[in-house]
Amino acid sequence: MWAYFIRRLLLVPVTLFIITVIVFIFMRAVPGDAADVRCGAAGNFDQQCFDVVREELGLNENKFGQYLKWIGDVILRGDFGYSLSQRAHINEEMGKRMWNTVQVGLLSMLFTLAIGIPVGAISAVRAGRLSDYVLRFLAVMGLSVPNFWIATMVIIFPAVWWGVRIAPDWVGWEEPLTHLQILAVAAAVISLAGGGTFARIVRSSMLEVLRSDQVRTARAKGLREFAVVARHVFRPSMIPLFTLVGLQFSLLLGGSVIIESIFNIPGIGLWVLQAVGERDFMIIQAVVVVFAGWFLLITLLIDIAYAWVDPRIRY
Amino acid sequence: MTAADAMAAPLELAPQRGRARRALAAFGRFVRTQPLGAAGAIVIILLIAGSVFAADLNTVDPKSSIREAKALDAPSGDHFFGTDRSRRDVWSRVLYGGRPTLIIGFGAVAVTMAAGVVLALAAGFLGGIVDVIISRLIEIIIAVPAILWLLMFTTAIDRSVQTLVFAVAFTFTPIAIRLFRGNVIQERSITYVEAARVIGASGPRIMFRHILPNLAPLVIVAASITIPAAMLSEAGLTFLGLGLEPGTPSWAQDLGPSNRPYFRLAWWMLVFPGAALALAVLAFNFFGDSVRDVLDPRLRGSGLI
Repeated sequence: MWAYFIRRLLLVPVTLFIITVIVFIFMRAVPGDAADVRCGAAGNFDQQCFDVVREELGLNENKFGQYLKWIGDVILRGDFGYSLSQRAHINEEMGKRMWNTVQVGLLSMLFTLAIGIPVGAISAVRAGRLSDYVLRFLAVMGLSVPNFWIATMVIIFPAVWWGVRIAPDWVGWEEPLTHLQILAVAAAVISLAGGGTFARIVRSSMLEVLRSDQVRTARAKGLREFAVVARHVFRPSMIPLFTLVGLQFSLLLGGSVIIESIFNIPGIGLWVLQAVGERDFMIIQAVVVVFAGWFLLITLLIDIAYAWVDPRIRY
Repeated sequence: MTAADAMAAPLELAPQRGRARRALAAFGRFVRTQPLGAAGAIVIILLIAGSVFAADLNTVDPKSSIREAKALDAPSGDHFFGTDRSRRDVWSRVLYGGRPTLIIGFGAVAVTMAAGVVLALAAGFLGGIVDVIISRLIEIIIAVPAILWLLMFTTAIDRSVQTLVFAVAFTFTPIAIRLFRGNVIQERSITYVEAARVIGASGPRIMFRHILPNLAPLVIVAASITIPAAMLSEAGLTFLGLGLEPGTPSWAQDLGPSNRPYFRLAWWMLVFPGAALALAVLAFNFFGDSVRDVLDPRLRGSGLI
């Protein structure tokens, strides 16, 4: 079994390498480059401007050479180079922005669990009754209603009705209360969809355990229903959540692009969005490598964890 | 209806009854056992009818401004959902705006299912090197966040409906292949396939005549559950201003940054397109859940689809 995991670990760099090639080709196929964007923004449409900027950014070099130089720096020094639009060091900028995205992500994960587990658990224990139907309905609502619509309404309506600004600007931890407010609002909007998904999974997972023999035994020996659920049902039915929590970080980016653009949060998502607008493919390449690398490692770790927890699993 | 009734129900269908009668009975059973799914189906039909027959539903051209109307006019008898900043009729924009979202939702899922079935049959049935290559490709596509694939497709190619259909299908196909491949492998080892092989059926014949029909319920379930997800994925991209061409009437487009400054003055510009999109996704989710419960209850909450 360990041979299988080692083989998969060795495949991670290979997969990542293929991904970088694909992304590199994709980004070079995009019409227009960073020089067009920069000269266009300055209102300078002379060929000379494009030539000077392209030379400065190294865009005139052979494409294959550009790729080799880039991948060489990434592999040998872990250095993603400089962004084309701001000339900022990508590693440094990525660190700062990743921390902002992760703050929102961690809090929204907390909220997601705080919504998903109780809703799913109550729904499972009261399966088939009215409360179960209401909670299931709400869960589907949560994961259906587009988060960008909710977020826009959360910003607009309190401002119109009461003149309240629900989502302040991103200030960082210098002003802890304001910072917590924006984090909480963004996380709350994200966790509606996540909470709905988690609630459904917790419910079905708990229902499965509730039907198992060990629960019948627990009931037969006269345990109160609360003790049965708390001790014998709850813990084993949380296992599917491990996978979800782990994968949630990879899904983080998808949600964060939209949420960060609405709430103007300087995280990875907003960075990617700006990079696409400015044809700054150095940023896109770096973000793709980091997220894909994380995804491949975390799925491997999850599989190892499952094999470790459950010895019946063989690869 | 109790569980016992549900079990007994198929027995009522004597073989002499016609196909139409049986279909009607199955339909009636669906409505009785899955009221939410049936309600979802009705809403879906209404939404499709609304966007198909938009021209006949008291609408005007959604792209051009009405000269005699006021800008940002509140909902009234003339303009059911009010007007926007360019004096365009929001009711018309909501009805026409369903077209791209629904087309991309259905189109992307059709492509996903077709590609998913073909590649899953190839991987699961041929095995060997084909299986290895397809598994590698799946991993490559899944590892990169879907939003990045979508952004790359729309910036590198174009922002037409076809490109969006393809791009959304591209991000969902790996999940479909994984799901179907497991099923193909399971089916392959069941005795009836062995029996077919013994009487001399060829590989392709087993693949298409025996295994493919048994995949059908799973494909229908996966399709009905993927449609709302595909719609939301396109809507998010269009909302960011990187999906459909600007100016195309579309629910997500009208909620986007270009309209945002006007929402304070005109709630109808924010509420109606958003409610239409939310209602569509909700209806598809309820319908998809019911389809899954009827066809394949084992998949409930598997997290796969």
